[in-house]
Amino acid sequence: MNIAVWLIGLFLVLCGVGIALVVLLPQPRAPQVLAWIGALASLPVIGASGWVLLAGNTFTMRLWTLPSLGTLLLRMDRLSALFIVITGLVFLPVSVFCAGHLSRYLGRYSLRAFSVMFLALYASIVLILTAGDVLLFLLAWEAMSILTYLLVNYEHEESAHTRAGYVMLAFSEAGLLAVVLGLLLLAVPAGSLDFASLKTAALTLGPGTRWAVFLLTFFGFGIKAGLVPVNSWLPRAYTAAPAGFLPVLAGAMLNLGFYGIMRVNLDVAPITVPAPGLVVLVVGTVSALLGILYATIENDLKTMLAHSSIENAGIITVALGAGFIFTAYQLPVLGAMAFVTAGYHLVNHSFYKTLLLLGAGAVEDRAGTRDLNKLGGLIRMMPWTALFFLVGALSIAAIPPFNGFVSEWLTLQIILRSVELASVGVKIIFVICGASLALTAALAVTCFVKAFAMGFLGMSRSARVAQAKEARRSTLAPMLLLSVLCLGFGVLPTYVIPVLSRTMAPVVAPGATDALVPPFFAGSPAHGQLPSAFVAEFHDLGAQTGQRILPGRGLVVMHRGGTANPVVFAMSTSYMVIVLVLLLGIAYGVIRVLTRRRHVVRRACWDGGIPRLLPEMTYSATGFSNPVRVIFEAIFHPTTIEDQPDTVAAHFRMAIHRQREDVHIVDRFVLHPVKAMTWGFARWLAGMHHGKLNAYLAYVLLALLLVLLVAWALPVGP
Amino acid sequence: MSGWFLKGVTTGTKTTGYPAHAEGAPGVSPGRPVGGAYPEREIPLLVARCPVGAIRPSGQAAVMVDYRRCVHCFRCQRGLATPLAWESGYEWAGVFNDQQALDHAFTRSVNILVVDTGDCGACLNEVKQLNNPYYNMHRLGLFITPTPRNADVLLVVGPLTDHMRVPLQKAYEAMPTPKRVIAVGACALSGGVFAPSFACNSGPADLLPVDVAVPGNPPPPLAILQGLLVAVGRKSPRPLESPAGDTAQEVSAR
Amino acid sequence: MMKLADISTQVARRWPGEVETRLDVSSSTCDLSCTSNALPAVCTWLFTEAGYSFAGLVAEEGASQWELRYLFYGERAMGWVQVIIYAPLSERTFPSISASVHAADWHEREVEDHFGLVFEGHPRLGDFVLHDDRWQEGLEPMRHRFNGREAVGERQPNLHWRPRRIVHAPGSFMMPIGPVFSGGTEPVHFLLETVGEDVIRTIPRLFYAYRGIEKIAEGRTVADALLLAERFCGTSAFAHGLAFCQAVETISRLDVPPRARALRVLLAELERFRHHVAAIEAICESTALAVAASQTAMLQEDVLRVTGALTGHRYLFGLLCVGGLTRDLSDTDCQDALAAVQHVGLQLDKIEQLLRFTSSFLDRIEQVGVTAHTDVRAYGLVGPVARAAGIARDLRKAQPYCGYEALNFEVPVENEGDGYARLRILFAEARQSVRLMEQAVASLPAGPVTVPPELQPGAALGWTEAPRGAAVHWLRLGEDGQVERYRIIPPSFMNWHGFHLAAEDFAFQDFPIILATFDLSVAENDR
Repeated sequence: MNIAVWLIGLFLVLCGVGIALVVLLPQPRAPQVLAWIGALASLPVIGASGWVLLAGNTFTMRLWTLPSLGTLLLRMDRLSALFIVITGLVFLPVSVFCAGHLSRYLGRYSLRAFSVMFLALYASIVLILTAGDVLLFLLAWEAMSILTYLLVNYEHEESAHTRAGYVMLAFSEAGLLAVVLGLLLLAVPAGSLDFASLKTAALTLGPGTRWAVFLLTFFGFGIKAGLVPVNSWLPRAYTAAPAGFLPVLAGAMLNLGFYGIMRVNLDVAPITVPAPGLVVLVVGTVSALLGILYATIENDLKTMLAHSSIENAGIITVALGAGFIFTAYQLPVLGAMAFVTAGYHLVNHSFYKTLLLLGAGAVEDRAGTRDLNKLGGLIRMMPWTALFFLVGALSIAAIPPFNGFVSEWLTLQIILRSVELASVGVKIIFVICGASLALTAALAVTCFVKAFAMGFLGMSRSARVAQAKEARRSTLAPMLLLSVLCLGFGVLPTYVIPVLSRTMAPVVAPGATDALVPPFFAGSPAHGQLPSAFVAEFHDLGAQTGQRILPGRGLVVMHRGGTANPVVFAMSTSYMVIVLVLLLGIAYGVIRVLTRRRHVVRRACWDGGIPRLLPEMTYSATGFSNPVRVIFEAIFHPTTIEDQPDTVAAHFRMAIHRQREDVHIVDRFVLHPVKAMTWGFARWLAGMHHGKLNAYLAYVLLALLLVLLVAWALPVGP
Repeated sequence: MSGWFLKGVTTGTKTTGYPAHAEGAPGVSPGRPVGGAYPEREIPLLVARCPVGAIRPSGQAAVMVDYRRCVHCFRCQRGLATPLAWESGYEWAGVFNDQQALDHAFTRSVNILVVDTGDCGACLNEVKQLNNPYYNMHRLGLFITPTPRNADVLLVVGPLTDHMRVPLQKAYEAMPTPKRVIAVGACALSGGVFAPSFACNSGPADLLPVDVAVPGNPPPPLAILQGLLVAVGRKSPRPLESPAGDTAQEVSAR
Repeated sequence: MMKLADISTQVARRWPGEVETRLDVSSSTCDLSCTSNALPAVCTWLFTEAGYSFAGLVAEEGASQWELRYLFYGERAMGWVQVIIYAPLSERTFPSISASVHAADWHEREVEDHFGLVFEGHPRLGDFVLHDDRWQEGLEPMRHRFNGREAVGERQPNLHWRPRRIVHAPGSFMMPIGPVFSGGTEPVHFLLETVGEDVIRTIPRLFYAYRGIEKIAEGRTVADALLLAERFCGTSAFAHGLAFCQAVETISRLDVPPRARALRVLLAELERFRHHVAAIEAICESTALAVAASQTAMLQEDVLRVTGALTGHRYLFGLLCVGGLTRDLSDTDCQDALAAVQHVGLQLDKIEQLLRFTSSFLDRIEQVGVTAHTDVRAYGLVGPVARAAGIARDLRKAQPYCGYEALNFEVPVENEGDGYARLRILFAEARQSVRLMEQAVASLPAGPVTVPPELQPGAALGWTEAPRGAAVHWLRLGEDGQVERYRIIPPSFMNWHGFHLAAEDFAFQDFPIILATFDLSVAENDR
């Protein structure tokens, strides 16, 4: 038997043991149990999925057979393994974080409940990802939905959290409904419920059914992935979720939506025409842009990171869309590259979002507030947290040499490759998407400069914040791990891309690896097969440097073109880091030598000569993002409420109170109209409930007549 | 836009030749009184006439003028039987304490921070005139900067009001070394017509180490220019009293 | 239009028994002594219904009583109305009129800081002239018991003083500017309250250049006090010195010879001309129009040199004395100076023509820094700032002095109240100044330039239209010819009060330009 199966089994057993221990041991012990068990359980999970991912030994295992419903199957192929490894790498640090963080709930909420739900959720997520048939998938999915609702609503004494939980539950169930319908459409012609038979049956479907399946599953799973126009629940739920659970919500559960999309539309019922890909592309672009716009003007750290998740989900979707379109247009290599990019961004987002959310949790813990208008100066009191948060911020803002840069750069390059398409209309759409994505990238930098600068630099803007202390070691250690992962995935992309390429290989044509990371060291065997023009240009890039010491395919990510243009794009974050370190080191050394005799005096910041520079005299987060607010006013559509100014007489204004409110654009265009329509319909229906017994009897009679009609009309047969 | 271009081009060069040549245009300087021989009988009248005590008897039949105090009220010129001698000219700046010239401290361009500590506006206006095409201090490498962080010379005008003590101190401390302080105007040297007052001082000398003094009320732009050149060691300082110690009387400007 | 004579009848009808009237037709003044209770009503009536402008508040500590004098003036026949309250020294609380006559706001705050009197109903007393973080409470420097010539000994300032915050919006902050800022500006501290680009509220913190002029003038001879009057604001030295001399001449009933009057007009207009050229230069420099700034800077230097050559001093110091001028100026010298000034005037016209068509410049001052007519009237603003918003009041026409009633000139008025309107007013007034100088030189009478100053005790107002607006000086001389009380109400004091009207609701970047178009002087305001 496959060792991976044993490891998954060990994981499930450990989760069970953990739940039992939590129930039996006293309450204050629960967080420690959670941390230990969570960390221990992650190891087999990572081991199993890592082994499947790298070695390629997939497995399928039959569990119980249910009467008339089919057999429950456990299956891990490379696609699942990728998602499971990410899940494991997210749950590990978050479990350790919970060890210290949950103590704040002691006495108010049940720590046992949190730990039990946390471990159960972990198990259900792994089950979703290893489900081989629809039934197990849906069962695990529903369990995950309910557990998520309970965990989001953990701090249930706040009314805002309860509302957020309800909205999330409503959207989850709506999504589930859509997914069930979509999968049923596939299952009915297949006759059975396991994914393998669904895949064979999908080949026989007509275009109309395929469209239906695509739309239902894309928007159904899109709810979980946080895509416009069905992501109204996401900012609310993220703000309500407790800081011990939120990193999992953003880092592991967002990916489930993408898993669903990829499983159905890449594996089971692959898309063969360009139109659905265009839908995906446009949805992704709009999500990315709206997400980052709202993130830039948001001052609550958690809500800002929520909107930023929407942005990242959008970027992943854009890469997916590009992949679908390229594959539909018979450009399999480009399509493979696009899917690899999507996978890369997925991995990156999980890491840096978890890192940032752990940082936000630490800040809220120590400084007592999440409001960027009140934070400030934390770099002096919490230097390590600041450093790790900075790594996360640089990664998410796509600054080299961190991981965000690699995936975002690849996404933009993929969009530029649209020149190879034939259709002009599609190319125009790609151009618009590319421009929007560039704007998104710029806004992301603004947003995270604001987050880091206003949160950590400058002066503390409130007294409580000025008394903050450094975070616990149980918080810093996970953040260190994630920072190392962010840096590693940024500096060594040439080792990640082949793994991702093999993951996508069964679902798309192979060859992305060679396209993106060709073997160029002169000694490697495949070298002789490369065209000489390419080899010549390659040598100019200095890519031969280090050929004796580097294993594998070297350190440059690139795309090979035709004879006219041998190297279309090339980049190496690894060499960038080396050069950066060298240059900075040399500069530092030179400056130290030249200013050896200089006498440095440090004084306070020059403030114009006023007696004291107060925190309210420094730029606030609102002020920093004000230009974005003003430029995109048409989208935000804010309303300013100014209180009756406090006046003694017409000209003595002692105080001016101003509030600004805006309703999210998706709420305005999607949620509120749907809400209004539903209420209208419900009110119309309520007209039927007028209490007259005669009318109710008439309804029963009508229903009976209808049933008889239908039964008479339907053919009766064996 | 071409209108401005033509206007500029047709205006020609108006810049003064100072410091290479003397400037002789009328109205560039009010001039100042000169100490020396004076009829003995009228000395008490003269001394009493000066409202700020700038004129003192010096020996038998001579008076001495302290330029740090002179406020250009012209009372020693008008309304007296024997007006005091008057000189035209504008090279008035001197070293505040010692008699030595300041060494060549700044070899290239010099950035000047101007701090107004209660000035009436006339000295400040004269300082601003240094930027106009007639004087154009940029050609000598002198620039006015708004921040003390890259300033070399601190130019103080005004008698130093109480409210400006802290800002002036902070501005001085915010400047990196080496730095020079130049006090411009009678107010900054002796309090002018305002001292003594509870709300202002007799200049910044008790707060900061002043290097160069430019007397006058207000000193004309050329005097301030000469003072700046003295501060950077490019010109030699002049005595702040007349007659200057034991030497002969003040010589008119070259 | 109300005539001065009607005032007494109206007042007697409205407040019988509470107000005493004393009318002096020759000096066109009406004194209304009223009780504290009637004060707000009387002042409000004068300001809103009778159409008077509020000039200022003069507080005096007499031997046994307070004298609070509220000064109002109007066009020619309306004359000057002084509403006076006499109260025993034990009484320290008076009603505030700032709610209805908002122009009195800063006057009441200044009296509170100087004398310790409390104005009931005023919501913002304290930290005005004497900054709370440098001086202790209760100093009251203008009272007789305080020695203004020595340093204050023990000091207990409020070390926890924080500036008051007015805007409460999430994310609002205060951007500090000054008191040391920009390359060579007067000391003033701004806190621009904003949430981003637009300035929502700004209150300037002034009196960094406070030298205590009014206090140190007490006990000085008239000649020495004239030095103070000239030199507290060097850029309008002649105008303030002239107001002081006119006050003394009114008290002592001195007749200034006609040649002196004509020369005084010439020199006052010369100073106004130079000041307007400097103000235009400041506007060009604030908008970074470098060529225009250089050209106007040259013109200012030209005028300074003309002034220096004509009178011996570039800023007209030392020319005035009580009874006339300290020296005579020859007719030929005056004509030469006039020719030079006319040449400068021609250059100025050319610059105005060029500026009219420089759209990048106009973009920055048109519709920027707008002040509404009603606000300008309520705040009592004066000078070119007020005339740009439709308030056509100029002391040279409204209450002529020094022979202006015989001269032919216009007072330009604009209605938009924005920066461009203020700039146009400056150009137009410069032209009118040249015109006045021509008339003064053309008909320069012969004769002496001074009369011997025989001083008498008494009190009077002296006023001039300074380059920045109406300057009103109140002077009381004692038996020995020394100054007992000297109150200066400079035009910058009125205009700084209204500056925030123009700066609010405009972006940061416009702030220096609005400041330049308002043409304010800190030294003149702070005294």
